[in-house]
Amino acid sequence: MELGRLEYLQALVTEFQVTDSTGNKRRRSLALPVSSISSRTRSFSLAEAKEQVLANLANFAYDPSNYEYLRQLQVLDLFLDMLTEDNESLVEFAMGGLCNLCLDKTNKEYILEANGVEPIINCLSSSNEETVVSAVTTLMFLTTPRSRAQTTALPVVECMLRFSLSANRRLSNLASIFLQDYCTPPQLEEARNLSKHTAVGIPLPKD
Amino acid sequence: KMAAGSSGAPGAPCRHHAQLGACESRAKYREGWRPRAVKVYTINLESRYLLIQGVPALGVMKELVEQFALYGAIEEYHALDEYPAEQFTEVYLIKFKKLQCARVAKKKMDERSFFGSLLHVCYAPEFETVQETREKLQDRRKYIAKATNQRDCFMLKKVEGPKKSASKNPEQDCPWSTSGSHIASNWDPSCFTSSPGVSHNMAYPSGNQDESLLTSPHYDNNCAEVPGYFGQNTSLTPSVHPGGHTPPACLMQQRMVPAYNGIDRFMPRTTHLQERKRKREEGNKFSLIGTSEDNTEVVIGPQLPEIPKVDMDDESLNTSATLIRNKLKEVADSVSTSVEKPESSSAKPLVKQRRRI
Repeated sequence: MELGRLEYLQALVTEFQVTDSTGNKRRRSLALPVSSISSRTRSFSLAEAKEQVLANLANFAYDPSNYEYLRQLQVLDLFLDMLTEDNESLVEFAMGGLCNLCLDKTNKEYILEANGVEPIINCLSSSNEETVVSAVTTLMFLTTPRSRAQTTALPVVECMLRFSLSANRRLSNLASIFLQDYCTPPQLEEARNLSKHTAVGIPLPKD
Repeated sequence: KMAAGSSGAPGAPCRHHAQLGACESRAKYREGWRPRAVKVYTINLESRYLLIQGVPALGVMKELVEQFALYGAIEEYHALDEYPAEQFTEVYLIKFKKLQCARVAKKKMDERSFFGSLLHVCYAPEFETVQETREKLQDRRKYIAKATNQRDCFMLKKVEGPKKSASKNPEQDCPWSTSGSHIASNWDPSCFTSSPGVSHNMAYPSGNQDESLLTSPHYDNNCAEVPGYFGQNTSLTPSVHPGGHTPPACLMQQRMVPAYNGIDRFMPRTTHLQERKRKREEGNKFSLIGTSEDNTEVVIGPQLPEIPKVDMDDESLNTSATLIRNKLKEVADSVSTSVEKPESSSAKPLVKQRRRI
């Protein structure tokens, strides 16, 4: 084990954690104690610093040899928490981080247990291309017999149908794979019918 | 730098091609030796395709390709005339055979001086076909499974053949197709109707022969009794044990071993074709995801990223597929068919003869 790596990761996460007055660790958020940030030639914002650290962690999440450390440092929870932030970049990086590490079985189970699917589905409506693309892939990676009811729920499939028609090749490719490989024909049928009704816009008779 | 359009269509400037300004506010302990922009790399961003901007318009394509070829085999390359380029520079697309090579090439060649001009190298995943993207994701799965030493039942694509996980053969990624769940739920011999593709499914895990393949105790017991079920070469596969209750997986397990013993890189491909043929003939009656409730030993996860259609989205693959299919047909016709049973028969296990190419 490389202590250097663990220390480094630890330092990264420490930049985030805050202990409140009663001694309780605050829920993982990106609150940075000013002292940890060195001063540089130009002024920077707290937001930028948070983004850097999160991006760093997300990139670390690409390498399986870091997974044990990341779990110890509760970085998975951090990523999940960041999905609901207002800062678009934070969401993008966190979603990327999840995409990177969710294939590992332990991580996958952890994310599913923590009800991670819901915020990830919400990321499908982001206006940020990377966020959406990461979300699509993550949903595929998280699909298991038990979770598929959630990951391939009707609204999701319907969304993928729309994405598969996108001019954005990356998105349409991923959505196509989602539809072809993770959805059953009945699911596709149901989603298509849903779209059809919406497109026509004719309300059904009241009685 | 470049106006970054967000269309994401191949050949159009994409946001992910834009060179971000280097980050200047990084905390000291996080500073590398080179200024780096803030960016997260995911499998979606990485690609075998690299976009190279800033190549001086001096007719140096040959030299450029030679330079990149140092990092690995290149499958394709050409200039992108429509792509916006700074004056006196050109833009090229280079497709590597392996993602890993593209990764290294990008790292080394980005921001490198080339004939007096600074190159900007980035990934160009928007050039991928659906199948290429699919394979990319599959390879990532395999890599994680191998690196974390996991045999996640949900991931059925861990076939590795001759231990080369980097291989881009789509067939390697097992055609463990739709019939999977069918098998899982009905442990009856009729599930042998399918081709070896099915068997792969059962004996799921990775190609490492020495790992014990399955969790169920069944599998270890009767295996010894099964005769050289799938012979080495052109022998017809004998019919299933008359006992009928022989755990199918066992036979398949037996079958798995010779498969990965060597040369049979083509086997998965045959399997693939036969599997698709079978599916075509039987229609779509199998649903991939299924009845995992009945059978917890073998969990069939999401439908595999295999091509359910005959068209493999790639010309060369289609050509190969057609060639092989024809060859198989040829062989099948010439061999005596004492064992071959019509597919419609569900009473007895159906045996397909297999020909190793």
